[in-house]
Amino acid sequence: MVLTKFVEVGRVVKINYGPQEGRLATIVEILNDKRVLIDGPTTGVQRQVIPIRRLTLTKFNLKGATRGARTGVITKAIKKSDPFAQYAQTLAAKKVAKKALRAKLNDFDRFRVMILRKRRSALLSTQLKTLKKSTGGKAQTQAKGGNKKK
Amino acid sequence: MPAKKRTVRIGNWYKSDDEKVHFIRKRKAPRPSKLRKIVPGQVLILLSGRFQGKRVVFLKQLKSGLLLVTGPFKINGVPLKRVNSAYVIPTSTKVDVTGVNATQIDDDYFKRTQAQRRKNEQGFWAKRGELTAEQQATEKTRLEGKRNTQKSVDAALITAIKKTQLLKQYLGARFTIGKTTRPHELVF
Repeated sequence: MVLTKFVEVGRVVKINYGPQEGRLATIVEILNDKRVLIDGPTTGVQRQVIPIRRLTLTKFNLKGATRGARTGVITKAIKKSDPFAQYAQTLAAKKVAKKALRAKLNDFDRFRVMILRKRRSALLSTQLKTLKKSTGGKAQTQAKGGNKKK
Repeated sequence: MPAKKRTVRIGNWYKSDDEKVHFIRKRKAPRPSKLRKIVPGQVLILLSGRFQGKRVVFLKQLKSGLLLVTGPFKINGVPLKRVNSAYVIPTSTKVDVTGVNATQIDDDYFKRTQAQRRKNEQGFWAKRGELTAEQQATEKTRLEGKRNTQKSVDAALITAIKKTQLLKQYLGARFTIGKTTRPHELVF
């Protein structure tokens, strides 16, 4: 297996331990085999030294980040090409966002979600039935999305 | 200067038997409990009693401190009812109660009448409903009156509830906890 994600200047990382857990930042400088300097001016991460052990590498890179670049330079580079927005499109990021949204639901919202899921599954089952009928029982089940909410 | 000695007053005599003094309530009148941020129109979840888990609409706090609450009756079978705020979970859902007139209802509305007390005092095995004809007639009119008050209070509420989608069904459903629900993590 070829290694694709490297600890390098400009690598977008996710902090997965500590008070900043869950936030993104970029690697600005590599100090030794265990620590790096990261900075995330747009994501609320203060410029800091952090052990690599506390990070997960993402597949994105910040273009224009040079070794030891100051926060201002990093911010400019982010303005030009925002890797954090790209990261937000990934499935992993979306799952995290969905989980956060679900945690915020209040009692009425939870009830509404339950009703909508029931309706969707009812729609799906009727679709499935018609598909099965039309292809004589050997249906390739392609679930048709109903009212997807949250 | 010598320090003032703390002396304990001993009475003139000691009581011969250990008298048991029953708990004497120091405060005669009930003090209305402080409402913990419950607003008229808010949906509450009842936690105890016959209507456990039912979602009801809060109308106002009565003088005794209890909360006046209604189903509405047509939606979930909960009548105008007094409820202790300790046995209630307030949700963040609110219904518009500007058209609802519950000013007539107070603690006296829920007071048991003579006829009711007589019914109750017969005991479990006695034949219920041993009321005179006159008492039965007054009971009938009293219940009619109650039904009418319920209807008049609920009418404005139900029109307000119908405006939000699925709110009627929400109020008709009971709140339950399943295997995977974590009540301490739920946001109400």
